[in-house]
Amino acid sequence: MSLSLYLPLAGNSINILLLFGLGGLVGFLSGVFGVGGGFLLTPLLIMVGIPSTVAAASDSNQIVAASTSGTYAHYRLGNVDFKMGIILIVGGVLGGTLGVYLIKALRAMGDADFVIKITYVVMLGVIGGYMFVESLQSIRQKPVESKRTVTEPAKVSLYTRLVQSLPYQMKFEKSGVTLSPLMPLILGVFVGILAAIMGVGGGFIMVPVMVYMLRMPMHVVVGTSLFQILFTCINVTIMQSITNFTVDLVLALILLLGSTIGAQFGVRLSKRLKGDQLKILLASIVLLVMVQMLVSLVLPPHLMLAHKGGH
Amino acid sequence: MKVVVCARPRLILLLMLSLLLAAPAWAGDGPPEIQVWPDVVEIGAFFNGHEVKVIGKIPQGAQAVIEITGQVATEHLMRKGRRGGLWMNVGELEVQGAPSIYLAASTTPPLLKDPPAGAVWGYPALKQQIRFAGRVEQGEREYFLDQFFQLKESDEVYAILPGDLKVKGGSGDSQTVTGAFPLPTAVKPGTYRVCLTVVQGGQVIAKQNSDLKVVMVGFPAMLASLAYGHGATYGILAVIIAIVTGFAMGYLFKGGGGH
Repeated sequence: MSLSLYLPLAGNSINILLLFGLGGLVGFLSGVFGVGGGFLLTPLLIMVGIPSTVAAASDSNQIVAASTSGTYAHYRLGNVDFKMGIILIVGGVLGGTLGVYLIKALRAMGDADFVIKITYVVMLGVIGGYMFVESLQSIRQKPVESKRTVTEPAKVSLYTRLVQSLPYQMKFEKSGVTLSPLMPLILGVFVGILAAIMGVGGGFIMVPVMVYMLRMPMHVVVGTSLFQILFTCINVTIMQSITNFTVDLVLALILLLGSTIGAQFGVRLSKRLKGDQLKILLASIVLLVMVQMLVSLVLPPHLMLAHKGGH
Repeated sequence: MKVVVCARPRLILLLMLSLLLAAPAWAGDGPPEIQVWPDVVEIGAFFNGHEVKVIGKIPQGAQAVIEITGQVATEHLMRKGRRGGLWMNVGELEVQGAPSIYLAASTTPPLLKDPPAGAVWGYPALKQQIRFAGRVEQGEREYFLDQFFQLKESDEVYAILPGDLKVKGGSGDSQTVTGAFPLPTAVKPGTYRVCLTVVQGGQVIAKQNSDLKVVMVGFPAMLASLAYGHGATYGILAVIIAIVTGFAMGYLFKGGGGH
C-alpha cells in the first residue's frame, strides 16, 4: 500500500511518515518552549509542497491539539496562570482583529509583503538576540539560579516604575507578580497585531514578552502561553474554515498525532532543563529561522514568479 | 408490404453493424483515432498521481502530437523584485488564458522543441493565448511567460515530452502512436481534453479529441463536500477532533507515568 495520502483541501498527496515526523518535531518544541510552532511548521509544510494558505490554516488546527495536550500537561504540573492567560487572550483577540485590518490596508497599498518580511526579520532578530545574550550572561553569572520575581531588582528601573504606576494593580498568585491588568492587556494587543501581520499564533513573541515584560517565571510562562495559544488557534481554525476553506482536516490530523506525542516528550524535557537553558535553546531556534529568512531575502530567487498567498 | 417493412430495418442494422466493425481500423481518408486509458481517473484517499495512456492511430509517414489540457482559468501570481536590497514579492500579476494543466508529447523531438510557425500545440501556441494583467510592462511579457512555464513545470502541472510518443507500424496505411502521461498529484477534479494532432510536412492534416475525467471519490470527496458546503460545521468539528485528540494523548501519556 502506498504511504502517500491525498489531502483533499490541499489538493495534493504527501508521504504520511514525513507529515508525522514534521508534526512530532514541532510538537516537541511546543512542549519544551510553550510556543505553538506555527512559525516553524508553516514554512516546513510549504517546503514539502502544501499550498501556503492551507499550510497556515491547517497548522492552526494541529496547534489546537498540541496546545490542548501541552496545556493539560502543564495544568497538571500547576504551571498555568489562568487569570493572566485570559487577559492576554482578550488583548490578543483585539490586537489580532486590528492586525487583520492593518494587513488588509497594506495589501491594498501593495506594501504588505515588505512589511511582513521586515517585521519577521526584525522581531526574530531582536527577540532571539536579546534572549540569547541575556541567557548566556545569566548562565555564566548564576549557573544554578534562574527564577525571577518582580521584587528582585535592587535598583528600580524606569520600566518598573512605569509598570507600578499603572492603575488597578492586581496580584497574579500563580505567577507571583503584582501588575495592572492593563499591562498584559496592552501587551496582548501588541502581540495580537504582530501575530496577524506575521500570520502565526504568536507564541514565540508571547513567551519573551511574558518573561521580560511581565516578569513571570519561565515554568509558568510556558503553560500560560500554551493556554493562550489554544484559544487563539481555535478562533483561527473556525474562521479559516468558514471564510477561506483552507483547513485540511486530514493534514491536521496527521500533524496533530505527531505533534501531541512530540509535545509530551517536550514537556518532560522542559522539566529537566533550567529556565536559562530553555531560553537559550529557544533563542537559538528563533535566530536560526531569522537567518534562514534573511538569506532568502538577500539571495536572488530561483524564479521571479511565486504563487499568491505565501510570504 | 409486410416483407418490405421487415427487410428495411434489417438492412439498416446490417449497414450500421458493418460500419461499427469497420470503425477501429484506420481508413486513409477518415479521422484519426484516439483512446485514453483510463478515461476516468479517481482521486481516492491514497491517490498519488496517475499515469494516463493515450493510444492513437495516424497515417503511415505522418507525425503526431498528443496534448492533455486542463480548463482555462485566471491565476493570481506574485512577481518578485528587490526593495532596499532585499528580494520579495513586489506586485500581483494576473495570468489569463492559461490551462490548469498542460502535458504534451510528440513522435519526434523537433515537433515540440522547435515547432513550425503557426503550430497550434506546445508552449509557442500557449504563449499566443496567455494574457498578463497587473504589474507587468509590455517589454517584460516574454520574460514572464518563460518564468510562468518554469513555475508550472516546477509544480509538475506543465510538461513537454519531445519524442516521447512511441510509434509502431500498423497494418496497411496506418500506424499506432502511444504515449504515457504522468497526471500530477495536484490534478483537480474536472474534465480534461486529450487532443491528437496529426502532422505531415509541417501541416496539420487531422485532429481528434477525447475527454479525460478526473473525479474525487470516497473519504476525500466526503471531506471536501463538508468543508465547502458546511464551513462552520467543518471548522467546529476540526476543533473538537483536535481537542479530543489532545486530551486523549495527554491522558495516555499520564498513564505512561511521568508527571
